[in-house]
Amino acid sequence: MRSQKIIRLFILIALVAGCTVEFLPETDESQDLLVVDGMITNNNQVQRIRLSRSTPVGTPLGNKPVKGAAVTITDENGIVTTLTESPDGTYCTDSTEFTGRLGGRYSLSIEINNTSYASDFIEMKPVPPISALYYEKEAIVSSNDTNDVDEGCRIYIDTYDPTGECLYFRWDYEETWEYQIPYSVTNKICYVSENSDEVLIRNTSLYSQARVTKFPVLFISNETDRLKETYSILVNQYSLDESEYDFWNRVQSVSQNVGNLYDITPMAIAGNIRCITNPKETVLGYFSVSAVTQERLFIHDHFYGLPGFYTYCATDTVSVTLPETGLNTEYWVIEDYSDEVPPFWVITDYKECADCTTRGTNVMPPYWQHF
Amino acid sequence: MIFRAHIAAALILFSQAVYSQEKYVIDWDYEGQSFEAFALKTESRYPVRFFYNEEWISGLTFGNYGGKRMLSEILDMVFEGKSIYWYGIEAGNIILTKPFAIKQVKEKQADDLSFMPGIDYSDNREAKATGGNLVMDIGNRTDIDKPGKVTLSGYIIDMNSREPVAGVTVYVPGLSAGTISNSYGFYKIDMPRGTYSVRFTFIGMRERIFDLNMFSSGELNAEMNTVLVPLKEAVITAEKDIHLQRFETGVEKINIATFRLMPTSLGESDIIKSVLLIPGVNSVGEGSSGFNVRGGSAGQNLILLYGAPVYNPSHLFGFFSAVNSDIISDVTLYKGGIPGKYGGRLSSVLEITPREGNRKEFAGNAGISPITTHFVLEGPVKKDTIFYHIAGRATYSDWILKYIDNPAISNSSAFFGDLNARIAYDINRKNKIDLSAYYSYDSFMLNSDTTYRYQNNIFSLRWRHYFSSRFFSAFSIYNSYYKYDIASLRVPQEAFELTHRINSTSFKADFNWFKGRHEFNFGADLNRYDVMPGNYLPAHDSSIVIPNSIEGQQALEAAVYFEDKYILTDYLSVNAGLRFSSFFAMGPQTVYNYNPDSPRSASSVTDTITYNHRDNYKTYAGPELRLSANFRLNSYSSLKLNYNRTKQYLHLLSNTASISPSDTWKLSDSYLQPESGDQIAAGYYRVLNKNKIEISAEVYYKWMDNMVDFKGGTDLVMNEAIERDLINVRGKAYGMEFLVKKPGGRVRWSVGYTWSRVLTRSKGSFAEELINSGNWFPANYDKPHDLILAFNTLFSRRVSFSANYVFSSGRPVTYPVTTYSIDDIVITHYSDRNKYRIPYYSRLDLSVKISGNLRSEKIAHPHWIFSIYNVTGRDNVYSAYFKNLNNTVKGYYLTVFSKPIPSLSFNFDF
Repeated sequence: MRSQKIIRLFILIALVAGCTVEFLPETDESQDLLVVDGMITNNNQVQRIRLSRSTPVGTPLGNKPVKGAAVTITDENGIVTTLTESPDGTYCTDSTEFTGRLGGRYSLSIEINNTSYASDFIEMKPVPPISALYYEKEAIVSSNDTNDVDEGCRIYIDTYDPTGECLYFRWDYEETWEYQIPYSVTNKICYVSENSDEVLIRNTSLYSQARVTKFPVLFISNETDRLKETYSILVNQYSLDESEYDFWNRVQSVSQNVGNLYDITPMAIAGNIRCITNPKETVLGYFSVSAVTQERLFIHDHFYGLPGFYTYCATDTVSVTLPETGLNTEYWVIEDYSDEVPPFWVITDYKECADCTTRGTNVMPPYWQHF
Repeated sequence: MIFRAHIAAALILFSQAVYSQEKYVIDWDYEGQSFEAFALKTESRYPVRFFYNEEWISGLTFGNYGGKRMLSEILDMVFEGKSIYWYGIEAGNIILTKPFAIKQVKEKQADDLSFMPGIDYSDNREAKATGGNLVMDIGNRTDIDKPGKVTLSGYIIDMNSREPVAGVTVYVPGLSAGTISNSYGFYKIDMPRGTYSVRFTFIGMRERIFDLNMFSSGELNAEMNTVLVPLKEAVITAEKDIHLQRFETGVEKINIATFRLMPTSLGESDIIKSVLLIPGVNSVGEGSSGFNVRGGSAGQNLILLYGAPVYNPSHLFGFFSAVNSDIISDVTLYKGGIPGKYGGRLSSVLEITPREGNRKEFAGNAGISPITTHFVLEGPVKKDTIFYHIAGRATYSDWILKYIDNPAISNSSAFFGDLNARIAYDINRKNKIDLSAYYSYDSFMLNSDTTYRYQNNIFSLRWRHYFSSRFFSAFSIYNSYYKYDIASLRVPQEAFELTHRINSTSFKADFNWFKGRHEFNFGADLNRYDVMPGNYLPAHDSSIVIPNSIEGQQALEAAVYFEDKYILTDYLSVNAGLRFSSFFAMGPQTVYNYNPDSPRSASSVTDTITYNHRDNYKTYAGPELRLSANFRLNSYSSLKLNYNRTKQYLHLLSNTASISPSDTWKLSDSYLQPESGDQIAAGYYRVLNKNKIEISAEVYYKWMDNMVDFKGGTDLVMNEAIERDLINVRGKAYGMEFLVKKPGGRVRWSVGYTWSRVLTRSKGSFAEELINSGNWFPANYDKPHDLILAFNTLFSRRVSFSANYVFSSGRPVTYPVTTYSIDDIVITHYSDRNKYRIPYYSRLDLSVKISGNLRSEKIAHPHWIFSIYNVTGRDNVYSAYFKNLNNTVKGYYLTVFSKPIPSLSFNFDF
């Protein structure tokens, strides 16, 4: 809850002389559990349920999809929708046949190798549109003692449900930003996207209105090139019922708000899917049923203190002739002065300095705004 | 005249009561009169007779004491500073004594000894033997052949303050018998007739030795003098006797003198941190404000200041103690063998005895350390009758915060301050009243929009009444109040203030009665609690927060106790006691009933019952047996056994490893049962090498029931129905504590090693109510090995050096067993709690104390203390946590202090 966050911030004071250091936990056990990651919304698109197996600590979370399961969604009228697997481990609805309805109640059933799993019926609660999505520049004290104040960007959201029905909110977002390589290369302007990876929730049941004011969605520092050209964020707003809010709140306490003096003793957190065949089997994940609204924000602004991100690129300057071997495989030309006398080129050993598609795509997203 | 003195001594000892000569007025001009002339004149005017040694008063003349005065006042003033004392006894006799058992020449040596440490008991004895003790006769010489035992008893008072001294060891080495003076300064010891040396020893006071011919029962009152410089060997001598004499195992007295010399973190002497050096006591880690005693949780310790409980024992998130060490006279920690008069917490009682004010003259002390400043003022309002002691402390840590790079911290501020005041009034010899108050305030502001504040207030009024010389009583009323509030104004529309408050008011009566071979302790206490679990209110005009309050709780806790310390034989004494405690939860209150076939939750409520004001909706009661036995094996060793049961009705709710600032107190109710504990302990104590080395070994086993734990990720803040998240836990703790120390001399050291385990297991019928499937698992503070080495040496009378080394096993932590992600959020899945451990803890601290000139005539005495905390700079791990980085969950160790921390502080006494 917010007070825990506040206490956590206070502990920064206490940790003046302290530090954290990584270690590799030596554990002899690892459990391989079924993970259900799925959400049904009312957005008239394909709904996806991902089934996978969990990953041991210290290993990148990856693909361990569970193939060949029979996944169905049942609504309150008894209508059963079967999902088709495509690609591996992802079970999809047909968007022409199925879409979530406000007020509808849905439950998920899974059958894998004669073992059945199911969730309870969950009602899709309405969600209001996002009232405002905006940003503010925020000072970052620079680490060199020049007393310069660099600027970062914090994005906030306001939302309000006048009907008072939607008390619990959750958000996630997709960021897309444009970046440019400051050299004359073929693929110079590209776009890259990233999804949110934090739990963003808010409980308004303690307020007299279902209103969220100035909720900090994320902070963009000047260590990323997001703010250099044009940046865009698409925020999804979901409605939750009390049980789902409780689940995310516990996840936040145990998985996210950790690393300070007052960490809550960690314990397993139960999701909402049970194994019918074998009640003692733990199933991880959550089947969410939420309405969704969206809002997109573009940021094209000047932020003081953004460093140059490509200063490391120019590896060498070669004159007269280019080295024969390795052109465009081991090194690339980023500046061409072959017209000069003598001719010379600036080359780089890093492919990302010569071709922006190493990191993203050079196809402009259809929603992109020009500034 | 010497003959007269001899008779005089005998007459003193006959007397049962002391008459003050307040009715005699001296109204002639005595200024310039010699004492002999004065005595003759007084004898002619009033029916008094003076008995004295001419040597003592030769050359003594009277000054100007402000004209007409009472005889008692004039005698006080003329003898001031001369080490001469007068006693008025029945039949109008006034006896002068100058009770140093050493002849003039040797006496000087005794004065010098106050500056030079290192003379131990055996040397003293020889000095006295050659010096020629004055052997005093107790009782009637004609009774010399009568059979049976005789009793020596009396009062021990502080020579300067005239206040009774409790805890003085009265020891007869020839008999290996001894006792301890009670809280009224009264002692009583039985012995066969004969000639004995009786030693009176106490920490911080110069030892007194009387050689007595015990002819029949009689009284010997003794006055003890505090040493000028607390560096003396006698300071420490008392401790070994305390161990040999005390009935209970598991009692530790903390020596304030060496405590002040110990290395400190951040320059502040901290009484709570010093408790961590006692075997059997540890903590979860640095920066943790609580401590764990013999496997008990941090909320199971009763910390008493002025007899009242302190609900938050620390300032600044656990880095400073809430109790200013300037006010502390001594501290006693009961780890086991808790006497019947204490109750209400399971694991320990930490009793802080405050200093009395200076009765004679105004004195003070002030000091500065890198982060705090403090002062002490004490003195009489009316000499010897009304006197006070005031101490205050405040911090100015903001300047350190400004240096930190993180803008959130450099815009923050931290403040704490506290004030202790005590005033005492000695109405007459049989009645004393004292009034004490404590006020503390902490305030932190983060980033100029979020604040966290708390207050601790204690108020206590006590009346001590001596019914007779063997029957004492104390009545007290006290109140303890703790409140915190957290407010955030970051977004005005969501601005809130969260508060929590607990207030307890109590009345206590304690009686102490000596009868024959018994010493009875009995009494009662009544407590009224009022807890406001949480209030959540809007903190700004435009805030849309709905005011929300969790229903307050009220309760009464009442107990009676009766204990008998019975001396069976010379070698065996037992203490049998029973405390009967009861708890009444009172309305108004709403209680939910749940479906017994499913775990308690919002959806399984079957019924809601509302109780009205003063309805008693739940009662708990039960006996707490307190038994101990002390076997004196021989003159240098003893064995003790002990059993006690304790109950706790007030709980500290916490689901963090260490106490967090937002933890709250909660009273027992329909679902939260009282915690109870049973402990058996045995201890063996021995002194070696002519009493220079002391060894103690204690083993214990403790069962605990109804401890409190919670379901994973529970949010305790503003939680309306805790019973839905509560997991009931049982515990067992056992261990062995081993301590060897050399407490006296120029070089003092101690080695303490504890091996202990504490395991808990959940009791529950549903899977959600089980932790680790109901198997035993180690508690958060289970540290099997704990080693403490302490060393202190005096290079000269002005320079002392101390070192502490602490080693302990790493505490248990929980690792995740697997990870997964949903909606791109990486989640760690934990399974068995506390299955693994973090690395061990090892730390060395050093400190040097340098005193200015120690001569007593100087107006101000300065001291410098320079210390380094964590000299080796070892990164002692506090906890392990797991967090996502680039799509992989990694493990991290968190360290609180990773660099050595030096500090310098300056104090002066005036």
